[in-house]
Amino acid sequence: MIYLSAIVVVGFALAPFMWVILSGFLPEVAILTVPPEWFRSGLIVDNYRYILTGEIPRAHEVGGQLRRMISEEVRHVPRAALNSSVVAGAVLLLNWLLGVPAAYAYARLRFPGRVATFYFITVSRLIPAVALAIPYFLIVQRLGLLDRHFALILIHTALTIPFTVLILVLYFRSIPVEIEESAQLDGASRWAILRKVMLPLALPSLVGAGLFAFMLSYSEFLFALLVTTSEYSRTLPVTLSSVASNPDVSWSLLSAGTTLAVLPALILVWPIWRYMVRGLVSGSLN
Amino acid sequence: MPEQGVQAAGVRLDPVHPPRQLERDQPTAFIMIGGAVAIVAVFTLYPVGYALIGSLYNLSPILPRSFAGLMNFSHIFGSQYFGFALKTTAVFALLTVPAIVVLGLLVALLLDRRFRGDGFVKVAILLPWTIPAATGGVMWKGVFADSWGALNGTLYQLGLIREYISWLTDPTLAVAATTVAQVWAQFPLAAVLLLAAMQAIPDELYEAAAIDGASGLRRFAAVTFPHIRPMLIVVILFELLLALTAFDLIFAMTGGGPGTATTVLSYFIWSESFKMLSFGRGMALAVIIAGMAVILIAGLLRFMPRGALLEEVPR
Repeated sequence: MIYLSAIVVVGFALAPFMWVILSGFLPEVAILTVPPEWFRSGLIVDNYRYILTGEIPRAHEVGGQLRRMISEEVRHVPRAALNSSVVAGAVLLLNWLLGVPAAYAYARLRFPGRVATFYFITVSRLIPAVALAIPYFLIVQRLGLLDRHFALILIHTALTIPFTVLILVLYFRSIPVEIEESAQLDGASRWAILRKVMLPLALPSLVGAGLFAFMLSYSEFLFALLVTTSEYSRTLPVTLSSVASNPDVSWSLLSAGTTLAVLPALILVWPIWRYMVRGLVSGSLN
Repeated sequence: MPEQGVQAAGVRLDPVHPPRQLERDQPTAFIMIGGAVAIVAVFTLYPVGYALIGSLYNLSPILPRSFAGLMNFSHIFGSQYFGFALKTTAVFALLTVPAIVVLGLLVALLLDRRFRGDGFVKVAILLPWTIPAATGGVMWKGVFADSWGALNGTLYQLGLIREYISWLTDPTLAVAATTVAQVWAQFPLAAVLLLAAMQAIPDELYEAAAIDGASGLRRFAAVTFPHIRPMLIVVILFELLLALTAFDLIFAMTGGGPGTATTVLSYFIWSESFKMLSFGRGMALAVIIAGMAVILIAGLLRFMPRGALLEEVPR
């Protein structure tokens, strides 16, 4: 009974992944035939070769100019994945740089306005993103930062830092104060304590919170759509949905592109589990 | 910050927070929180103010700007498309939120037990949540697509259907399809959060219930449910907010169609602002949605036991 429900749940979670991965290795014709003949013509790597090298899949060469033109957009996927990684990487670094000291201060120091600013930071995430979309667009446009990753990095940092602060505050507070006190007696400054005592202890949740920010930024769509306008600066979610919204797009090519796009998630899901969710679930934060 | 060695004796006498230490920590604290508070403030207060004021203007990249007063709002409330979008969003939220919460709860109950391979199940179910929602939309489009989707192909091969079903071009089925995709994308988070709450329940409570001879269902009602209630409310709140502002997944999967069948409020804002190029009206819409979200959140928080959230704030 347990196993049956476990299989059903895992099946539901993984089915779309399996279909996308499979169809990325199929020729277009195997999918479009009615009824489909998915396994009749065997597996091919043409779709991936096209995305990475530009060599047109055999099945497409007979296709008209239009199809080739449309499919070309898929070739931006690796570039878009790179853009997304650069933006998300910068967001991760900024989250560490700004979020770690802030979390430490909220967890350990007393100062006026602590509760108020803490609430402000966490509650800021309850503002629906769509409500901010147009102002962001107009502001970024006026600053002349449209199509620059810089603007997107700042926006994503503002969106992710509340989570980083919240996660790290919970973690810092679970570290006994006594550990710090001996360092305090030795005359270490707060910054030194943070760097030499707290950070090594908090390393797992630092990794977890950082990966969380990375994934949120990597996945963010609405603001990326607004801020990155040219196909060279677009991030992955924007490029993929733009390819997908094209009614004539070849599904097998799109699948190959999507598979490449979710690859980081497939790789990162284990460390995210290991460093963040498991800590949450096993109650180490309580 | 200046050296603190001299304070050593003071620290020992009053280990909690000696007054002079407190004074010295304050500037440090302000520097430490400064960056985070500043970036959040710049990217929330200013845009929110901008939206509030902008909603009162005729604002468009192609027309001169002029004061509109409440015209944008009256135009929106008078428009039948707003009614459609509101209804679509409400239906979407009413379909997805209960499904996500129930499925998340069932999965959490399943994972709360130990069994061979539970680690794999936990990681595997996390996958839908870790990928971009827009990508999830693309993947589900591949499943539901009318003429070449995996679902039609599979059902046909199994002999369950004679003709392909128009999952994405039939208005009702398109809503159902986006609901399935949203549930798929969101149940992992619900499951993980609820599981976290369940694992914080002391084992003794279950043992006591077992001694009293409580059945499984009774145990859930008496022990599990009261303890996970705050988290349950957080999950409902969060998922409600996500459903009310759903955009990526629908944008990638149906583009709001067929017709306006899946045009939820966020998509409506998007098309009003960036297709109709009416920024003022878009911002008025955004203000309306944000207002609705605030009212809903405030309403739901009343169900929250006192202190359940405050515990997370440093004392």
